[in-house]
This record gives sequence, C-alpha cells and structure tokens, in this order.
Amino acid sequence: MAEPKLRVLMVSDFFFPNFGGVENHIYYLSQCLLNLGHKVVVMTHAYGNRTGVRYMTGGLKVYYVPWRPFTMQNTFPTVYGTLPIVRTILKRERITVVHGHQAFSTLCHEALMHARTMGYRVVFTDHSLYGFADVGSIHMNKVLQFTLADIDQAICVSHTSKENTVLRSGLAPGKVFMIPNAVDTAMFKPADVRPSSDDVITIVVISRLVYRKGADLLVEVIPEVCRLYPNVRFVVGGDGPKHVRLEEMREKHSLQDRVEMLGAVPHSRVRSVLVTGHIFLNSSLTEAFCIAILEAASCGLLTVSTRVGGVLPDDMVVLAEPDPDDMVRAIEKAISILPSINPEEMHNRMKKLYSWQDVAKRTEIVYDRALKCSNRNLLERLSRFLSCGAWAGKVFCMVMIIDYLLWRLLQLLQPDDDIEEAPDINFCN
Amino acid sequence: VNDGDIYTMVSSSLSSKRYTYIHESGSETRRGAIDIHHVIINRSRSTGYARLMGLAFFLVILGVSINIVLLMFYLYFSMGYLKWIIHLKQDNPVRTLSWSCLLSGFFVVIQSRKLVKKGEEALLHESVIIMPTFGIQLETQYLSGKTVSRFIPIDKVLKPVLVECVTPVTCYWSLSLFLRGEEQLTLVFKELRPSLKMLVPIWKALCTLIGTDQSEIITEEKHVVSG
Repeated sequence: MAEPKLRVLMVSDFFFPNFGGVENHIYYLSQCLLNLGHKVVVMTHAYGNRTGVRYMTGGLKVYYVPWRPFTMQNTFPTVYGTLPIVRTILKRERITVVHGHQAFSTLCHEALMHARTMGYRVVFTDHSLYGFADVGSIHMNKVLQFTLADIDQAICVSHTSKENTVLRSGLAPGKVFMIPNAVDTAMFKPADVRPSSDDVITIVVISRLVYRKGADLLVEVIPEVCRLYPNVRFVVGGDGPKHVRLEEMREKHSLQDRVEMLGAVPHSRVRSVLVTGHIFLNSSLTEAFCIAILEAASCGLLTVSTRVGGVLPDDMVVLAEPDPDDMVRAIEKAISILPSINPEEMHNRMKKLYSWQDVAKRTEIVYDRALKCSNRNLLERLSRFLSCGAWAGKVFCMVMIIDYLLWRLLQLLQPDDDIEEAPDINFCN
Repeated sequence: VNDGDIYTMVSSSLSSKRYTYIHESGSETRRGAIDIHHVIINRSRSTGYARLMGLAFFLVILGVSINIVLLMFYLYFSMGYLKWIIHLKQDNPVRTLSWSCLLSGFFVVIQSRKLVKKGEEALLHESVIIMPTFGIQLETQYLSGKTVSRFIPIDKVLKPVLVECVTPVTCYWSLSLFLRGEEQLTLVFKELRPSLKMLVPIWKALCTLIGTDQSEIITEEKHVVSG
C-alpha cells in the first residue's frame, strides 16, 4: 500500500458508541477519507468499559482515552492534563493534521491547543449554533475565541452556522469554509411501491419533542390541518418533554385515529417510518444543519420546513415562518404540489447533491490549504491572542506560555524518539 | 562444563536507550531446544534519581502553573463585578496561592517517597523461557537477588497477543497471553515496557510454540522505525 497522503487525527468527545449527528459525521467523513487513501485516527474519551484502542470498519483506529466524562459526555477540563497522551498519540501515528469537532467538546479544545503548541496543523469544525446572551454561552464563546484565534482553517456546516461561528469567535470569514453535511443515500431510499396519495395523505414528523425543535408549533398546526383536510393523517415519531402536550392535543380534538404517536424511533428504523409518508414536516426553531430534512428528501418525501440551516433546492422544500398560520399555508401548498413529486428522481438528485464522498473531497482541500499555512513561532502566535480582549488576551497568552513550557519539560523527561511509532496495519478485506 | 548442561548461545540482541534484548537459543541440532528471551534494563541508579528529580520538578511547575491559571481565571471572573473588587484588596488570592503551593510541594514529596521505595526494589531483568511442548516460564529478577517466576503449561496457553495499552498519560505496546480459564490477559513482562521491535521476535517465538499459523494473522505493513 502506498504511503498515505495525509494522516488525520479526529478529536471529539462525541463518538460511537454514543449516537448523534456529530458522531455520524466523524464516522462517515473518516470512512470516505480512508477510501481516498489517507490515514485517519479518532481520539475520544472512554465510554464505560470501552477503553484502549479499537479498530472499526476499513481500519479506522479509535483511541478511547481513559479520562472520565463529567457532564454531558464531556471530559473533565484539566487544561494541561491531556498534554502527555495527545503528544504520545500525535507522535505514534505520525499525524500531520489535527481535526477537532464540536465547540462543546472540552477534549477537542484541549487537544487543539496542545497540537498547536507542538506545531501541528489544526482544523476545526463547528456543528451547532449557540446563543450569545446567557452565562453559559458567554463563557463557551470565550473558550471558542481562544481556540479559534490560533487555528489554521475552520469548517462550518451551513451559511447560518458560518455567520454564527464568525460572530461568536471573531474569526476572519476568509478562513472559514462551508461544507454541508451529507446523508447516507444508500440507507435512505424511497419505498419500492409508493403509498397511494389519492385517499390518504400522510405527513410524517420525526424529531425530539422539545421546545427547540418546535414541538409547540406542532400542537397548533396539527389540529388546524386536520380540520381543513379530512384526508390527511399524521405520524409523529420521537419522544421528549413535550410529548404530554401532544397527547393532550390529541384528546382535546379527538384525533386519536388521525394522529399516530410512535414514541422514540431508533435511527435504524427511521427510514421505515419515513417511507410510509408523503410529506415531511420539520418545525425546528433553530438548527445549524437539519439532517432530518435531507433524510426525508432522500426517501422521496416533499418537505415543509421552517427556515433552518441546510436548506434543500427550492422545488424539494416549502419554507415557512415559525408561526402556526404560515405553516398551515405551507402545508396547503405542499399538498397541492404533491402529485407532481417523483420520489425516485428526488432520491437521485440527493445522491448527486449530498454525498459523503463529496464532503470528503472538499475536506481534503481544506486540509491541503491548512498544510500550506506557514508555521508561526511562539511569539507571533501570542500576538494573535492579545487581540482577543483586554483581560482575556493576557490570560490566553499566559495559558499558552505555560503549555509551551510544559511541552518542553515533557520533551526533556521523555524525548521525542523515545515514543515508538506504531506500524500501519493494513486490513486485508 | 558437564554433559547434562544445556548449551545455549546468543543468537540475536537488540539494544535501545533503556532496555537490552538478548535472545539465547539452544543449538540447532537438538530437538526440543530451549529458547530464552531476556530483557534487561540498562540504567544505573544515578539516572534513576535524575528522573525522580525531573519528575518532582515537573510536578512543582505543574502545581504552580495551575495555581497561576486558576488565580487569573478567578480575577477575570471577578473583574466584571464592582463589589468583588473590594475582595481583591484583601489577602485572599495571595493566601490561597501560597496554600496551594505548599500543598503541591507536599504532594511532590509524598510522590517522590513512593518512587524512591520502588527504586529500592530496582529491577534487573525479566526473561521468558520457552520450552517447546512443555510450557513457558516467566521470570522477574530484582537487584536484591530476589527472583519471581511463574510457569505456564503449554495447554493453558491459547494465544499470545500484542496489545496497545492506553493510560491517561501514555500509550505503549505490551505482550500478553490468553490463558484458558482466566478472564484477564496475563502480561509476559509485568514491570518492563520494551519496545515493539523487541516484542515482535518474542511474540513470533510464542506463536511457533503453540503452533499458530502466522499467516492467518493480519498482515503488517513494516514501517522503518527510526531510533
């Protein structure tokens, strides 16, 4: 096997066996990069008994580092505690680029800081939107500002997310790339036989029933649509605190036979629920990138959605304001254009527009750009931190100086050539 | 030299900064010849102390730096609030700083005592004696002359494996054995951490001992390891 072109380390607190959007993104991106001939290693914290090195499909090596998570799957932030293990992993695997994911992950921030101190190229991807007003957000944004002050390139998953990240961190927009998420079109295929839309039109909703996902909007919209259109039925999948309100709504309007509540739907069964419907309804108030609507479009459903990040082409989605009347109007419009929708054609377009291979190729371009960035020495990098704020700038400089000193000390105690390089194991498929 | 003695000769040896690996094998003509693999620490007592001092220094710096960072964060958070400025005028931050320095100093002293105790029991070398069709003997020899050995009969050994062990601060290779009837892996080298270069020939010898077909195992891309 030829020597891999790039050796990437993906760092995040969020990885399998935990399930979610970020984990999926890291996994699919890694698999596609492996297919392109690069070497990818993932570093995350230990999940329960799962510690040590594991190999996943395609030879993806995962380091489950035994640091205990302390809240919301995040490693306990010791600022310098992860320096020895990060240094060891970077040296062992001969990494060239470090790619961190998710602003909420403490392990990601620490690893990026250490990688920067040791002179590696660093790329960061932000997956979520955050606020600016509450205390938690303010501190999170400060930490993000610190990490992004010294980064080589950043990636955001939608234009909305890019605006949000640039505002929060004060990063130069020219450094931020926009690479949308993709969907696994091989898994989300339309049904072989499309359910007939003559008698009954089925509208599917799959989301967590929380405030942020617009569950309150659903409570208003569903009875109104059921009243206007006697041939429409709803299928609601997902669970959450607002489940009670939806049940109450069903009771109040006697819609038990027209609104089916499925409860929590595991991801493997999402496709089977989606193909029973004609229209997908998404009422999220805010989302950096809504993968749910991509999955629905890939299954050949027409989508009605609020204006969230990551929007489909105009003919595949009907947009609405997060207001019950406007959403009802949008559903009316969707029902009227439903006969002209061809699920197979939609699926094929999605395959071309949103594929993980495309995301991997674009990410490769970002890595190449990052590698071309010149390596600044410590003093130049410190000057970047000073612009972060009057007081914060000096604190950040202090933190980086101490990190640098600790790194030098570690080099004295355990010289670089003491760290043995791990052989690349080639899995025969 | 008596007739009953087993003749062995050094067939290969490897040397790194910390360890020396010596492979003694029985003469080629005799069947059932014993294979001995030694891994010896080549460090003197003085380097041991130097490392201890280095470690102590590292811990002090770590303690002090964490204190400074915490102090700065404390001041940063209190900057925004006028009433907290009154608290700044008091001695509190300085006092906490000095207390934490003292505590880290204490911590360092306790840790170095533990390490010194370990140093007294300084290891000399560990060895694996492979006896074909009979079993494996694992020996650990200390500077004080004490030897700890363990014999594993051949039918208890299921498979030797090279495992990457990850700790909160480092990652290293270790050679372990799957034993019949035991849940945990048995480490071949309990105290030492020789490099992969040294472990691979021992692993191959163990595979030959129990008759594992090595071609079944994942093909390894040989990377030229520097240093």
